[in-house]
Amino acid sequence: MGRKLLLDKAHIEGIRHYDVYRREGGYRSVEKVLKGMTPEAVVEEVKKSGLRGRGGAGFPTGMKWSFLAKPEGMPRYLVVNADESEPGTFKDRFLMEFIPHLLIEGMICASFALGSNRSYIYIRGEYWWVKEILEQAVQEARNAGWLGKNILGSGFDCDIFVQPGAGAYICGEETALIESLEGKRGNPRIKPPFPAVKGLWGCPTVVNNVETIAAVVPIINDGGEEYAKIGIGKSTGTKLISACGNINKPGVYEIEMNISVEEFIYSDEYCGGIANGKRLKACIPGGSSVPILPANLLLKTAKGETRMMTYESLSDGGFATGTMMGSGGFIVMDEDQCVVKHTYTLARFYRHESCGQCSPCREGTGWMEKILLKIEQGKGTMSDIDLLWDIQRKIEGNTICPLGDAAAWPVAAAIRHFRDEFEWHITNPSDALVRNYGLANYAKPLEVMPA
Amino acid sequence: MKFSEDKLKVVGEMISHYPEGKQKSALIPLLHFIQKHNDNWLSPEALDYAAELLNITPIEVYEVATFYSMYNLKPVGKTVFEVCQTGPCMLRGSDDIIAYIYEKLGIKPGETTTDGLFTLKVAECLGACGYAPMMQLGPDYREHLTKEKIDALIAEGRAKAN
Repeated sequence: MGRKLLLDKAHIEGIRHYDVYRREGGYRSVEKVLKGMTPEAVVEEVKKSGLRGRGGAGFPTGMKWSFLAKPEGMPRYLVVNADESEPGTFKDRFLMEFIPHLLIEGMICASFALGSNRSYIYIRGEYWWVKEILEQAVQEARNAGWLGKNILGSGFDCDIFVQPGAGAYICGEETALIESLEGKRGNPRIKPPFPAVKGLWGCPTVVNNVETIAAVVPIINDGGEEYAKIGIGKSTGTKLISACGNINKPGVYEIEMNISVEEFIYSDEYCGGIANGKRLKACIPGGSSVPILPANLLLKTAKGETRMMTYESLSDGGFATGTMMGSGGFIVMDEDQCVVKHTYTLARFYRHESCGQCSPCREGTGWMEKILLKIEQGKGTMSDIDLLWDIQRKIEGNTICPLGDAAAWPVAAAIRHFRDEFEWHITNPSDALVRNYGLANYAKPLEVMPA
Repeated sequence: MKFSEDKLKVVGEMISHYPEGKQKSALIPLLHFIQKHNDNWLSPEALDYAAELLNITPIEVYEVATFYSMYNLKPVGKTVFEVCQTGPCMLRGSDDIIAYIYEKLGIKPGETTTDGLFTLKVAECLGACGYAPMMQLGPDYREHLTKEKIDALIAEGRAKAN
């Protein structure tokens, strides 16, 4: 059994409430921080832990914190990104729903480190009941003296507010989130200036994912060095993976970043194998925007090495033969699934969620959706595949925010690895309407070129 | 449109979450609150009232109301089924759920039954991929949907209306 630092107590009866959470050792990290550490020491501990942003980008958290500008007389803000909307991702919801005080505890430590006296949780509006759970937990923490003025006599003031969104994937992008928190449309801002300099209401702001902030609690309790001992290389600590699709046990799993992808999919501790006795065809391991891989490239890298559940191993081979850890939204597809159709649903998603500021994304996502639907419905032509490739190339890198890249990558990877499935749809249109292409060669072992 | 003292107190509490002069930040929660108390939709009058409550211009409210998918800018049925149709739900049969609702109620995505009881909407990823197929039903989720569960939800919607 792997160690669990975040969810080890999530199943204890009543842990959602303060009394039980406290009895189980909750809020110790706040005592440690406020009674004996400086803000700089907290940042240093997080740096030592090697913790990387758990929202998708994987940027080192301690470094992000150290970039925060500290001009005299200007407030600073911590904003927790709970806008979880990347298809395949539902890990933060699990954490907030079952162990909300862990997030609040982490936020108090992080707020102290950053000097934020007013911190926000921006949660997607659809998670309405989770918002209510968080609000209740915040109130309990306030009543118990962990929030408010002069916490534990330290002179540090902090309060937390929960802000709902209203249905917009783009608000998971940090500058769009800030715009939304200011009561505006979620249009991403041009960077620089970065939020660390000019964020919420023009003040220095750090935006961190829910899981990232929760991980601060074990880092403070056990020390950054202990945390960094878990995992492999620069993939330290544990990671929440939300697994879905055609597996026996969909759900949220906390893994130590030292297990193989194969173990994660097939072991009974995690996904429990492919459902209904089917075979694995493909997987998108890090949320819908990261490249899809066929089974053979998923389980082994192009070099023939076992692929591991780490940032480095998942991206081994670059986009040519690798993918990304992303948000940990692990989407598994069995042999009966159609990659063209799945890619079409993702293209439709990104078209729906494009904020419309940048022409390549606004226009390109609509084009991709239409062409993919045409191919899926057996009306495509061979030149459509090249046109799709061309459109995604013209979106990538040409937009203010990463939604453009996020929309382009799944289409690119689907064509890169499943081109024969696209071609089959075009050359066998009547077949494609009644059956799927199937497993084909996607699970066949790859020939490894001698080094 | 005019709120009672009790509701105005709730609005005041919302505004207290932000620093002085930043009351515009309350717009998104305020629109949720108004929609909840306005038959689940935002009429032009409701939008103008939001502007008045926050002391901002109406266009600032329209911009926001038209951007976010949770706001209904047209009247909706008493029960709104918002079925997720993105990849992970599609892999677990969301198309069949949408087709079954059509079979039972005769409504396609975006339509409302003639008796005004049910509206069907399709949604993009709601963050419940491991519990697919699923739908949003008011402030809650309904997960692991089956035809039997849809039958029960329709019966529930009818019972609620009586």
